[in-house]
Amino acid sequence: MSEENPLDLEAIRSEWLGVEFDERTFEPEASRMIAWAEACGETDPRFLDENHPDFQAPPNMTTIFNSGRFLPEGFPNIGSGFGIDGGKTVECLAPIRAGDVLTGTATIADVFDKTGRSGTMVFIVQRMTFSNQSGEPVSVVDWKTIRGI
Amino acid sequence: MRFEDVELGDELPVEHPDTSLPKIEQWCEAADQHFARFVDHEAAKAEGLPGALVPGIMSQGFLLAMIHRWAPGCTVHKIDTVFRGPLVIETELTITGAVTDTDDETRMAEIDLTIATEEGRTGVIGTALVSFAG
Repeated sequence: MSEENPLDLEAIRSEWLGVEFDERTFEPEASRMIAWAEACGETDPRFLDENHPDFQAPPNMTTIFNSGRFLPEGFPNIGSGFGIDGGKTVECLAPIRAGDVLTGTATIADVFDKTGRSGTMVFIVQRMTFSNQSGEPVSVVDWKTIRGI
Repeated sequence: MRFEDVELGDELPVEHPDTSLPKIEQWCEAADQHFARFVDHEAAKAEGLPGALVPGIMSQGFLLAMIHRWAPGCTVHKIDTVFRGPLVIETELTITGAVTDTDDETRMAEIDLTIATEEGRTGVIGTALVSFAG
């Protein structure tokens, strides 16, 4: 706890980091994969041609496969509202194919604060870890949300 | 392009992605992201925004497409983007990339990425970690 930040982030981190709080399944379809790639200006046939031997989903498509819950039940109230989108990180571990059945597990990956001219902001990082139907890890997505306190 | 062809400081060809309404609508449909703030300027302005916004995840897709064009057959292992300000649809955006690190051991390159508005304001910054086909 610091003078600028009345929250005990160490206690929050100790209690909540790594706790799994949701699990969902997702099935990417070829037509949506192609439409997404086309809309983003992709020209690589791996993302546009369903008959390409290495046809796969755009690398960041898992960013829309999010948990219905952003925070675990019982997570402390920090700031108000949903906060500001602080960006997204996607780690691509293996190609995602049309028809794969992905299982995404949600955890809180980090909680930290930064103090600047506009005061103290708390960053909450929600992580979704995706595996395919063979249990192979394929993608890890971090959503960063910024909340003022 | 092979790893040996890549040098620190190399710049990716500058691109101007298509931010027309039909493209935004196509992405929203594919992503199942049906929000008026992405496709309706008036609705976005009513929320206090400067106009309908390019979805942040779509802007990340613009950057990935640029990387795939620069190095055909490459694999993006990681992309990290920070949204610093709104990008309005139906405006000319400029996307750039530059190689900022190369690792002989992993044979990967790190690329710094930006998306700037017509006014020159930076709306997105990011980095990507890429390996090459050759």
